[in-house]
Amino acid sequence: MSDSHDSPTIPDLIKKFYFVGGVLVVGTIITFVIDIMFALPLALAAVLGLLIALVKASFVVAIFMHYKWDKKLIWITWTMVLTFFFFAGMMGLIMWAEGDVPKLDSALAISTGTNEMPTIWIILASLLGVALPASFTVFTVKMLSQPAPVEAAAPKARRTAKKKS
Amino acid sequence: MEIPYTVKPRPDTGLYNAKLGIWLFLASEVMLFGALFSSYVLLRVGAEPGTWSMGLMDLLVGAGNTMVLIASSMFVVLAWAELKQGNLAGYKKWKWATIACAVLFLFVKWGYEWPSKFKHYDVWLNNATVLQEKFDEGYHEVASHGDHGDAAHGADVEKYVKKIYTTRFFKEESKDSQLAFDDAWRNGTLALSGHINAYEEAQIDVRITGWKADAGVSEDAADEALVKQLAKQDTEDAAGLRLNGGYLREKTDYDTAKRAEYALGQAGFTVALSVAGYKRVEAHPWMWRTKRATEDIGGKPRVSSIVFELDYSHHKGIITLDAGDIKRLSAYEPKHSTFFGIYYTITGLHAAHVFGGILIMLYNMLPIGLGLWHRDREQFTNRIESFGLFWHFVDLVWIFLFPILYIL
Repeated sequence: MSDSHDSPTIPDLIKKFYFVGGVLVVGTIITFVIDIMFALPLALAAVLGLLIALVKASFVVAIFMHYKWDKKLIWITWTMVLTFFFFAGMMGLIMWAEGDVPKLDSALAISTGTNEMPTIWIILASLLGVALPASFTVFTVKMLSQPAPVEAAAPKARRTAKKKS
Repeated sequence: MEIPYTVKPRPDTGLYNAKLGIWLFLASEVMLFGALFSSYVLLRVGAEPGTWSMGLMDLLVGAGNTMVLIASSMFVVLAWAELKQGNLAGYKKWKWATIACAVLFLFVKWGYEWPSKFKHYDVWLNNATVLQEKFDEGYHEVASHGDHGDAAHGADVEKYVKKIYTTRFFKEESKDSQLAFDDAWRNGTLALSGHINAYEEAQIDVRITGWKADAGVSEDAADEALVKQLAKQDTEDAAGLRLNGGYLREKTDYDTAKRAEYALGQAGFTVALSVAGYKRVEAHPWMWRTKRATEDIGGKPRVSSIVFELDYSHHKGIITLDAGDIKRLSAYEPKHSTFFGIYYTITGLHAAHVFGGILIMLYNMLPIGLGLWHRDREQFTNRIESFGLFWHFVDLVWIFLFPILYIL
């Protein structure tokens, strides 16, 4: 972690690693026990199972992958935030298409007093589906076309020269 | 050429290059697996009731493998911590432990979970009455639970089959499961699930019925082709067979017969295959499909009957299925159903990542990989950190796969 600013010492880190290992093991056991001990409806089982998975995943990303100390580094954060949006958008579109949201007695149906999905939602959803991968592409292109680091003066000059021509 | 920023962070990104690279790679991986996860959800939500076999997954094996992968994820980060402290011996210790976990994971998957599915079958019959008879025959003993003194029949068996069906496709009984089961029971669309213990395999006669002189093959060449297919290689027999026809081979196996049919067809012969009889084979065959059992050979099926041991019958439900009654037969392989299709796609891609990880870890343990440690300790430490990020991601994918595949 040569690039982190306020990261703990290695012995401290190792203690944290063991703690996270414990969390992961306990999370798996809880998932297992819930599944065999309780007869939960599928929807509840899905939410619980994925919630536990999410908690486990957060610990892995934060501690094992040192994200807790790297998150000030905007590059990683943006990359991952955008992929997360991409994933959320993809899931959202599927749930919209398949789950028949308006037919459930959802907050939407109650607040609008109708059982039909407003057209604007559908348009927004499709825009989201296009905008997310597009934004990721733009971001990647922008990142890759960054000028070389400041310390080397000569390559910078060459680059500006290229732009002008 | 020296690669810049392998140790020091690049001023504008704040990261050494490999780390930014691996994060970008992981971002692309999130989208790859994200697409597969959302496909899974789409298929799961859109599946007809009674087609999603999630109850077949062995939860204990899944949870066990999750633990193994969690342990490996922890060992890999500990290996990096040892390097950070300059301890190569400690690194090696944890790295070997990581490799051992990864190998164990793949062994369970490729050596146990998948192969056991390839020997596990669903058989659909084309007649609802026959199907119910078979259920009755297979389950009447276990369905009684000893409550009825004698073996159970009819309604008790139906109840027993319903329990198995509900656990496999719905986990819990509900109005939906009730409806789906009643429908399937009435229409005979339920599958018999279990293992093939033995089967009656055709013994095939191969008979030459003629030879076309105008097929563009010389007599000598035709005789030569014929001799190759004879059990006892005798040129005089060949000429006789070509002119008069007759039995080339009697009671031979399928492969030999088919090979002879093809090769002799190329040499201008017309060949007739017929089933002379059936021989019982005691075996648990792999990956059979419908045609493997029911293929027509001169008017008779390749396999006349199958000795089938039903699941959940405690080895008492051994029934015989006639090939004529079989509509479809499939092992639990990708083509079995949408469920197994997506199951093997996702777990297969994940297993490929684990396999790739093992190769990289081995490289980093060999002298060629360790050479970097002796040249530049910090760069080697960073390399291990980058690999660790990949390895944690593989663990992350499994953390989500476990509840999705084994519980939902």
